[in-house]
Amino acid sequence: MKPICLNAFDIISLSPGFDLSGLFEKPNNQKAEARFTTKNSASAIVSKLEEIAQMERFNVKKKDGLVQLQGIKLGRKGQLAIEAEIFEVTPTFHMVEVKKRAGDTLEYQNFCTKELRPSLKDMIWTWQGEQQQQLPQPL
Amino acid sequence: MGCVWTKGQSRREDPSVIADQTCFSVKDIEALYELFRKLSSSIIDDGFISKEEFQLGLFGNSKKQSLFADRIFDMFDFKHDGVIEFGEFIKSLSIFHPSTPQSEKIAFAFQLYDLRQTNYIGRDEVKEMVMAMLNESDLILSDETVQAIIDKTFEEADLKGDGKIDMEEWKEFATRNPTVLKNLTIPYLKDITTTFPSFVLRSEVEDEIYVFS
Repeated sequence: MKPICLNAFDIISLSPGFDLSGLFEKPNNQKAEARFTTKNSASAIVSKLEEIAQMERFNVKKKDGLVQLQGIKLGRKGQLAIEAEIFEVTPTFHMVEVKKRAGDTLEYQNFCTKELRPSLKDMIWTWQGEQQQQLPQPL
Repeated sequence: MGCVWTKGQSRREDPSVIADQTCFSVKDIEALYELFRKLSSSIIDDGFISKEEFQLGLFGNSKKQSLFADRIFDMFDFKHDGVIEFGEFIKSLSIFHPSTPQSEKIAFAFQLYDLRQTNYIGRDEVKEMVMAMLNESDLILSDETVQAIIDKTFEEADLKGDGKIDMEEWKEFATRNPTVLKNLTIPYLKDITTTFPSFVLRSEVEDEIYVFS
């Protein structure tokens, strides 16, 4: 599993201030993607995602730095499909971008809040957009 | 045809003229005009997008500060008169169109990242931008990690080894690493007419709106 390496400009391009799609969306449009950083290895992240997929009844497809989860249950807008892409920032530090590929955004968000994040809890260094209550020690 | 323009903008450029200079069709421009109207009237209805209205549109919060939103705003505001007018809006958005040539995106990105307009992107500017990104996203990396990332990037990009990236080096680097231009394409712009209906039918014509056929 070879994740993509991020250089400084890749990181810069991820900045919310560059994301002009906000201009085109309704103000309270819920985001169908999230990012978090982790000190775990890429393979550890993938294993954890596979574990979660199994518990929540998703099929898993892996390719390079991409893990695709396809829901088996039929939701409000069809099956939920989620993609997690793993990027290497440094060999010991990775960024994971989780995106909804298909299905209902609300169901996706429920999945992230109720299943994904709690299961990944020990692996998550910081979750994008969250105010840090207790700042973790920098690496 | 059927376009709706406000009185205050009657001296604005003809959409077909703008269309020729951009990747947008006249229909796209009519659709984008609806977006422009929405954004430019969100705080003060004066036909221009102010910095606060831009921030409001991007973040849902007119007071939210962002280094990158500032840079984008400055790039859009060709005349540097503190507001984005319709022509500037369309021509700048055109850079983000999927069909715009890579070379234009590369040039735009260089100017965007050349924070102090020195025709070079220096280490300190890159560091400033990385730190700003982390801050704005509530992500944390140690100083050593940030340094290591910047060192590695400069190793690859700074071919002349002078501690800064010039336009030539940037072109090489961006061509080899097209992902760095990811933020310069909004796929959405290809389908703009389906999101913002370009022909607005109004039964009661407001005083200041004129319909040109």
